Amino acid sequence: MGQWAGYLQLILDGAVVTIKLTLMGSALALVMAFLAGLGRLSRFAPVRWLATAYIEFFRGTSIFVQLFWAYFVLPLFGFTLTPLQAGVLALGLNVGAYAAEVVRGAVKSIGKEQYEACTALNFNRWQGLRNVILPQAFVLMLPTFGNNAIELLKASAVVSLISLSDMTFQAQVVRAQTGSTLFPFLTILILYFAIACVISFAIRGLERHLTRGLDGIRS
Amino acid sequence: MPPTNTAPIIEINGINKSFGAFKVLNDLSFSVAPREKLALIGPSGSGKTTILRILMTLEGIDSGEILVDGDSLYQMKRNGKLQPADDAHLHKMREKIGMVFQLFNLFPHKCVLDNVTLAPMLTKGASRKDAEHHAMELLDMVGLADKAKSMPSQLSGGQKQRVAIARALALKPKIMLFDEVTSALDPELVEEVLNVLWKLCRETDMTMLLVTHEMGFAHDFADRVLFFDRGRIVEDGKPDEIFRHPKQERTQAFLKKIIAAGHRV
Ligand SMILES: Nc1ncnc2c1ncn2[C@@H]1O[C@H](COP(=O)(O)OP(=O)(O)OP(=O)(O)O)[C@@H](O)[C@H]1O
Ligand SMILES: [Mg+2]
Repeated sequence: MGQWAGYLQLILDGAVVTIKLTLMGSALALVMAFLAGLGRLSRFAPVRWLATAYIEFFRGTSIFVQLFWAYFVLPLFGFTLTPLQAGVLALGLNVGAYAAEVVRGAVKSIGKEQYEACTALNFNRWQGLRNVILPQAFVLMLPTFGNNAIELLKASAVVSLISLSDMTFQAQVVRAQTGSTLFPFLTILILYFAIACVISFAIRGLERHLTRGLDGIRS
Repeated sequence: MPPTNTAPIIEINGINKSFGAFKVLNDLSFSVAPREKLALIGPSGSGKTTILRILMTLEGIDSGEILVDGDSLYQMKRNGKLQPADDAHLHKMREKIGMVFQLFNLFPHKCVLDNVTLAPMLTKGASRKDAEHHAMELLDMVGLADKAKSMPSQLSGGQKQRVAIARALALKPKIMLFDEVTSALDPELVEEVLNVLWKLCRETDMTMLLVTHEMGFAHDFADRVLFFDRGRIVEDGKPDEIFRHPKQERTQAFLKKIIAAGHRV
């Protein structure tokens, strides 16, 4: 029994790495989502092109290849990253590209009349976006952002391929050492699911908090 | 109290506006005197809303000229030459004009008070304290001081529209545009909004342009009435002239239809 506790500890150590990756990757993804999502709505064509190029590129190539670039190819250009940094970078940029479309869609779904109220009240574009459009659009983005974060959590297993000892990597270690597949993989199955549940729960709580006293936005 | 012998606050000279192949405003000209209360009436699709939207810079014009308070709305002078207005010019011009919409367009995520204070704080750099003080005066004026902390979704249509009026007034515009501000309301809520307009008429010296289907109100309230049809002014005169003795056939036909539909004139 004590021996299993030691192996469980190994997997829990991996869970910490996975959670770290998920949090930091999600933070980067969020930033990229707003940059690229709003960039696509810019009135300056080059900004739109840049945002579109980013989104299409990162959605159109696999996370696996992106991670290998971040970890093995960037050093050839003088950027050496730790496995964790490479993982956060690849996951954040990849999921950010998907989430950018969420930002764009939500912002576009806010009715024309809200923009017109902003103009009639003499807000400049940024003031209207910041105070009127984004607060309403953000509520619409949240559920999909939750899904994106869970996608990121699941995709984070890919970092085991650059020997970052996340949960999946540790499960493989335990499997190699014990010969048992059931124990490590059942354990991480439960852990992945538990973390995903926490994300869902947190997002729903935030959503409820932000929609208090408000209706007519969510359809 | 139609004012006389003053330079117009709004001058519209030969403007044209099309949406695609559809010509909405056709070589339209009229001016508005300071403090004048002007009612714009006419059949659906005649371009009334479009005029207000153009004055609020929500819609551009294809040709012609608009002067507001002596300055061109859509053009500016730079190095002695006229150029299309840039953001800074439009920003300056919009300070003179406020608009109230048919469907209120309140900010649903902000409470009543914040709806009113947001614009002065953002565009005039007012402190929260000053903005709230002024907002409470305005909410008091429209009879909604007790709703300051309510969310728009908790208000009736009439209350929402009164908040929208207070919100527009918070920027102290010289000119107020009202686009069918009672059309979306249940009949029993119309009165409370019209009363606010009467109050504004008595207590301020704003110029007011109203698009309305409330002919009785237009008759009593306006100094002057413009009857529109197909993007042109068909008749322009005092309320009594337009409503009691319309000269044009089209005006007569329109009023007949309106009366048949049960409106008081
Ligand atoms: N953005 C737009 N694109 C295309 N057509 C438009 C647009 N806005 C208005 N129109 C058309 O222009 C015409 C005039 O519209 P406008 O809203 O000014 O009329 P109105 O006099 O206010 O009518 P109503 O009494 O129904 O409000 C209408 O035929 C309308 O369909
Ligand atoms: Mg209209």
